This record gives sequence, structure tokens and C-alpha cells, in this order.
Amino acid sequence: MDQSNLNASGTSPLHKALETRSMELNFGPQHPATHGVYRAILELDGERIVGLDSVIGYLHRGIEKWAEYRTWSNCTPIFDRLDYLAAVINCHGYVGAVEKLLGVEVPKKAQYMRVVCDELNRIASHLIWLGTHALDIGAMTMLFYPMREREVIMDLFESMFGGRLLPNAYPVGGVRLDFPKGWEKACRSFLADLPDRIDDYEKLLTGNRMWVQRTKDVGVVSAEEAIDLGLSGPTLRGSGVYFDVRKAMPYSSYEDFDFEIPLGENGDVFDRYICRIREMRQSARIILQALDGMPEGDLKGKVSKIIKPPAGEAYFTVEGSKGQLGFYLVSDGGKNPWRCHVRSPSFVNLQGMETMCKDGLVADVVAVIGSLDIVLGEIDR
Amino acid sequence: MTEEQKPPAEQADKPKPAAKPAAKAPPGPKPWAPTGEVVETDVTRRLKERFEAAVEGIPSPVGEAGVRVAKDRLIEVLTFLKEDPECAMNFLSDLTAVHFPENEQPLEVVYHCYSIPKGHSLRVRAGLDDGEACPTAVEIWKTADWHEREIHDMFGIVFEGHPNLKTILLPDDWEGHPFRKEYPLGGPKEEAIRKDALSRPVYLPDDPEEARRIIKEGGRGSE
Repeated sequence: MDQSNLNASGTSPLHKALETRSMELNFGPQHPATHGVYRAILELDGERIVGLDSVIGYLHRGIEKWAEYRTWSNCTPIFDRLDYLAAVINCHGYVGAVEKLLGVEVPKKAQYMRVVCDELNRIASHLIWLGTHALDIGAMTMLFYPMREREVIMDLFESMFGGRLLPNAYPVGGVRLDFPKGWEKACRSFLADLPDRIDDYEKLLTGNRMWVQRTKDVGVVSAEEAIDLGLSGPTLRGSGVYFDVRKAMPYSSYEDFDFEIPLGENGDVFDRYICRIREMRQSARIILQALDGMPEGDLKGKVSKIIKPPAGEAYFTVEGSKGQLGFYLVSDGGKNPWRCHVRSPSFVNLQGMETMCKDGLVADVVAVIGSLDIVLGEIDR
Repeated sequence: MTEEQKPPAEQADKPKPAAKPAAKAPPGPKPWAPTGEVVETDVTRRLKERFEAAVEGIPSPVGEAGVRVAKDRLIEVLTFLKEDPECAMNFLSDLTAVHFPENEQPLEVVYHCYSIPKGHSLRVRAGLDDGEACPTAVEIWKTADWHEREIHDMFGIVFEGHPNLKTILLPDDWEGHPFRKEYPLGGPKEEAIRKDALSRPVYLPDDPEEARRIIKEGGRGSE
């Protein structure tokens, strides 16, 4: 059939003659490639996507409301449950916002230790993304190699915090304990191996013809559209926009470290993939610099046992593994937060789905979802 | 619920229900007002020059720049922030709302704007009365779409001109707006059950079959 006579709206003469109409297809919510409980209602014209409507909220737990009923320091564990793959960074975002509101100065050593743990968590989160994203597109083997490396990071977290996935990493004001004995050595030996491992992944994927065909020019979003949609993190940088919270609004001494922000060009799935792969290498660089330059000093700043910030509001953002993670806290001078709002990067990034998927093929929806690196716990909160 | 009404047999359960309402109680009937100084930046000065009395600075204890805008000029101010080359706020970082039941205007919509080329940020707040609609910002930043839907779910604020203002995080048939302060943590139904349970003791019949039937039907036995 001559495709040029068909248009998406179904108004062409051929459409009318054949009486065709678009078809609705449900994708999810119980679908392994949605990385959680996300449902997309696709409007299809044959294989092509005409419209996409996202349905979310299946995992809504009212975390923001819940926080209003807890004291400032009791809130920290619940925010690990937002983006459970990057729980340490989530915790950093919240305690950072409280510290900003309190005006507490975190000791330099604690800041460096936070950088080390945050970047390890970023690598762990990207490794999970890499494995699952590749698995979604059909590269089964790729799931197992990143899991092997992630296991080392989880072990490092376990010996440092006592928890693996949701470690409730930092208290308000600093860190709880120094690195345990032998931790730094284990961390360094992991980092020494990591570049070779990433080379292995790239050998399997980056030059792989099938991988390139499934990802190049798929799910394209231009730089202007990406900014307008509020995308952030590697999803934004894949479109070539230089914006990283660690560089734009340095927190926790990120200005001390020398690292690059990888950028894409076309804003397609492949560019977002390349950005994240390079980001892992940069994270390893940052950790090594932080370990080398680790200052001596206190682990925790001066914070009273009962936290009562002054009445007011503060907005603090960190670069999460998915993008800009913001905490907006409102205090009325009491023991509990008056309002606690989380700007979750996945929630905002998922809004780009329609722009990216439109006029694409059904099979590419899975590739696009994978490239956004969404975590539903963070979207639904 | 008072402690005297309870029989001494329930001593063990006493501290738990007694402690919860104390933590939930609002800190006092005085209206919320931020402490600290008003921060002046180039952007706030520019806004004040252009809009004069329509914008006023918000004090901040942490040194963040912010302005409060009259609702009818909100869209004008936000459009200016985005399109003016000096401000160039092309990135809407966050959009949310806060409920202050004691304030003159109980609802506040809060915009966190950021400029990627200039690297500066600004908080814009607009006060609303209960039930008052807010103009939508979707035309200015597309990202406002889902944020506004979320606020509509959680606070019941209607955004005029929004292309698709349906529920996003809550089920379609959800009643009430959970992030408003009068909404109890567990929801109104659970709160009613809890209050009822605390207000009087439970005496179930000795017959286990009968007791099970009463519990199943949600009954409370005899008093």
C-alpha cells in the first residue's frame, strides 16, 4: 500500500475509502518493560504512534503528606523510598535542604565523604539502568555484567551504612561514621577495575549494529523542547544542553573536583545512552579525587537534637542519577515540616514521553522508556 | 477523646493514641510568615521596575530571592521572566502549592524558575483564596502541565486554561484533596473509625462466632 496517502489524522481520501481509524493499545501497567507500574495508552495508526497518554499514580504513597507528621530528623528514611535505586542521593537532597534551612555548615570531611557515596550510588543506579535498558531492547547478556559490578557497590554500602539498597545514609549535619577499616582499599580496587568493565559493556553495545539500529534516531527530542519540557539529567544532556546541578549550583564541595559533563548531539536514545556511560567514567574520576584529597576533621556539624528551623522556605537541588532532584521545604518554626515537596526528576522526564514517541513505532516505546531511566517510586511518591 | 473516659484495662494502649493527636495539632492559629531579610537581585530589581506594586519581595531566612505576585498579573510576570533577555528564565524547575489555613489567602502557588544560560533562579509565589482559580502556565513552560494536574489533585486548585486538567496521582473517583491541612493523614474514613474506636471501649460477645461476625460487618458490639 502506498504509505504516502495515509496520514495520522485519518482524513486522507484513502482512509475514507477504506474506513480506517486509529487503534488504542494499552501498554502496561503490569509490563516488565515499564520498570514499575506505568501505563501508557497508545493511539496507533498501523505501527505508528499518533498519540500517547501516560497514566501514573499506581504507587502513590503520600510520602509528602507523611513527612508533615514526622519530625525533621525522622523524615530521612522515607525519602530513600522515592528513587530506591539512588537512595543515598535522595537522602542527600533532603538533609541538604534541612541544613540549608537551618544554616548548618557541614564539615569538609563529611562533604567529601558524601560525594564519594553519592557518586558510587550514581554508578550503581546507572548500572541497573544499563542492564535493564539493554534487556528491554533484547540484549539479555547485558543484564548480568552490570549486576556483578553493582554487587560490589552494594557490599561497600553495607559495610559503610549497614544497609544495601535503602541505607538511610546521612543524618542532618554530616555523616554518621567514618569509612570502616579497609573500605577505601576495597573502593579503590573497584574503581581500578571499573573503566575496563565499562569498556566491556561498550564493546557489547556501542558498536553493535543491532543496538545502534534500535537506538539511533529513536525518541528524538530537540534542545529547546527538552528545556521547555523541564527535562533534566542525562535525558536533557543527551540533547546537547549543558546543565548539571553539580556544575551550575555546586553543593557539597563539587567545585573542588575536576570532571566533565558528557553531552549528546541529537537527543535520541543512543545519545542518552552514551551520556550515561560516560557519566559513570566521570563519577569514578570524582570518587578518586575525593578519596585522594580527603581532608581531616569532624564528621558532623553542630545540630541540636531537636531540630526547629526558622519559619521560612528553602529549595535545595542535587544532581540525582535521573536528573535535578529538588526538595522544597516550608517550615513554620515547629518540630515538623509544614510542607515538603519533592521535585522528582523522573516525574518531569516522563512528561517527555509523548514528544519522544510521537510518529515513532510501537516497538520503540520500550526503547524510549528505558532511555528515560524512570523509577516509579519517585514518580508517584 | 479524653483519658478519663477509658477503663483502666486499656492502660497498655493508652500512650499511643494519646501521643498521635498531639503531634498532629497545628502549631497555633497565627498566620504563617517567613522570617529573614528580603533578598534583592538584578532580576527582582528588574521586576519591580517593570511591575512596580504588583510584585513584592519575600523575606527568606536562607538568602533565596523570591517575589510575591498579584494573581491577575501572574501570567504577565511569568511571561516577562521567560522572554526578557536579562531574565531568560527558560527552565521551570518546580511548581507546587502550599496550604496555610490561617493566612489571609490560604493557598499559595509556588514557581521555582531557573535560567540555564544565566544561571540565576527566582521563586515566584501567588496567593489564592479558597476555591479561586489560578491561570495556567502551560503556555509558557510545557513542563507545568503535570505539575498543575498534581496540584489540582492534592489541593483542589483549578488552573484556568489548562488543556487536560484530570487526576494524575490519585484515582479518578477520589474524594477530597489530601495535601490540604484539614485532610487527616489516613483519610477521612480511617480518621472517623479511629476517633470512634478511641471514644468508647469495645465489648464483644463471648461467642467467638458471633464476635467474628460483628467484626466482619464493621460493628462495634454492645457498649
